[in-house]
Amino acid sequence: MTPSYFKRLRLDVVREWDLYLMLIPGILFLLLFKYTPMYGIVIAFKDFNIYDGLAASPWVGMEHFEKLFLSEDFARVFKNTLIISIYKIFFLFPLPIILAVLMNEIKNMVFKRGIQTIVYLPHFLSWVIVSGLFLQLLSTNGGLINKMIVGLGGESIAFFMNTEVFRSVLISSAGWKEVGWGMIIYLASIATIDPQLYEAAKIDGASRFRQIWHITLPGLVPIIILMFILRLGNILEAGTEQILVMYNSIVYEVADVIGTYVYRIGLGQQDYSFSTAVGLFDSVIGFILIITGNYLSRKFLKRGIW
Amino acid sequence: MRQKTSVLDKVFVASNYTFFIFMGVITIFPFLNLIAKSLSSEAAVISGQVNLLPVDLQFGTYVYVMSDKLFQSAFINSIIVTVVGTLLSLIMTSLSAYPLSKPKLRGRKIFILMFVFTMLFSGGLIPTYLLIRELGLVNTLPVLFLPGMISVFNMLVIKSYFENIPEALEESAKIDGASNIRTLFQVVLPLSLPVLATIALFYAVAFWNDFFTAMIYINSPDLKPLQLYLKELLASANNIFLKLDTIDVNMAMNVSPQAIQSASIIVATIPILLVYPFLQKYFVKGVMLGSVKG
Repeated sequence: MTPSYFKRLRLDVVREWDLYLMLIPGILFLLLFKYTPMYGIVIAFKDFNIYDGLAASPWVGMEHFEKLFLSEDFARVFKNTLIISIYKIFFLFPLPIILAVLMNEIKNMVFKRGIQTIVYLPHFLSWVIVSGLFLQLLSTNGGLINKMIVGLGGESIAFFMNTEVFRSVLISSAGWKEVGWGMIIYLASIATIDPQLYEAAKIDGASRFRQIWHITLPGLVPIIILMFILRLGNILEAGTEQILVMYNSIVYEVADVIGTYVYRIGLGQQDYSFSTAVGLFDSVIGFILIITGNYLSRKFLKRGIW
Repeated sequence: MRQKTSVLDKVFVASNYTFFIFMGVITIFPFLNLIAKSLSSEAAVISGQVNLLPVDLQFGTYVYVMSDKLFQSAFINSIIVTVVGTLLSLIMTSLSAYPLSKPKLRGRKIFILMFVFTMLFSGGLIPTYLLIRELGLVNTLPVLFLPGMISVFNMLVIKSYFENIPEALEESAKIDGASNIRTLFQVVLPLSLPVLATIALFYAVAFWNDFFTAMIYINSPDLKPLQLYLKELLASANNIFLKLDTIDVNMAMNVSPQAIQSASIIVATIPILLVYPFLQKYFVKGVMLGSVKG
């Protein structure tokens, strides 16, 4: 007769006690810094007051969520999040793919390494630094871009204070920072394509374009789909940190997104319960999207995201 | 027909090289502009003469920036947080990754799920803030590394590396009577130096670049890390001289706010540039480990 599960578990814990011991710090870390805040979500259903504490604050049910769905602020913030995110996907998702395909056609290794070294660098800079670089570049007071615009006969633009162009600033600075780095995953994927395919195509007299079209791109399709699913799963993350550094009250109207709104309402105005409700709404949608993405990925690509 | 294709190919190759040179230039260009501003005189910067080369070369701005006491303390804070945070993170992450890389560990699936779930769902900003407050960590340096000690993504990367270490190597240590803990430190970790280096650099860059944590939890000026100091410096373009706590007011004579911002950004970028060659050696490997494995 086989011993029961718990008996075997006890045997294992005794024999491999130090494996379990090693796990303790990590599990404690998770319980304290990750799972305790999940419990803290209950304040979204309470009228939380910092002096009464969590337990003593009265329950209010779905009141904060009703307020959220009726709030004009939230509607605007939600819309901004989607718009900025969709712009970023539309402009910045295809770019690394195109760049990787083109980079693959560069045969001079020294040149290739050199360019890669340069274009990967911005990924490792903080948003504060990138914001600083763009502030200088786009400044109305001697910024290079405005000098060019004026030089070409235009009028200088206060990029950071103009609701019409601020989103473009967000998207282009995000592009400057991440597009080069974004190539890496596709370059790695291209490297796994069988070189014999290219040899055969060359013998048949296929031009570079035909090789790209018939060999490189089809080889990339699975990773493109996977990356796209992952990207869609993150659609509610429009770049909170970036926006928090770059925006100001003049452009709130077009640039305030869920993440920055939670920060402003929660920590600025200390409306803890309501901002937790907004955060929970965000987390739940994000969770549903990523689970759906994983399901689709398993179904169509036969491989999960994790 | 052959002839025509190869001409087309040549045009393609030439424009391809041109395109990437252009891309390289676009990447470098903001830095050159900033370096030029930081090295130019006040008059040249204010009148907007500076493009890609310094006008009226001077180094006073750097002296000015670095003599600011708050800049100094911010720089030191960032170094402390980065070094301590990276070391702690490496230890904590490896300690979790090792048991989870053992298929025989009972309850392994549940433990892994506990880790992965935190990547998919979180309590959010406010509940986390209230917890940190309750723990008394607001306005302390440890708040800048304690909550970020384990990145689950990094843990999974290390775990999959451990899984690929041949079992036989560990077995021989076990036969000699070594405990699991000794096996980890004497056999497994020395064999995993490439992945540990990658992850160490990932953690270090993340700690160095983080401003958000500090923005939430730190208000006392002498505890602010460099990125937060910089962020506030960028936001205070006009009254920048009121903010800086420099020894010598006379030094402000030949420096402009723009030059100060530029010089501060350059100084904050230098540490990243210093580790970048090492980063580059390892990060491609790191990205591959994380993604291809799936």
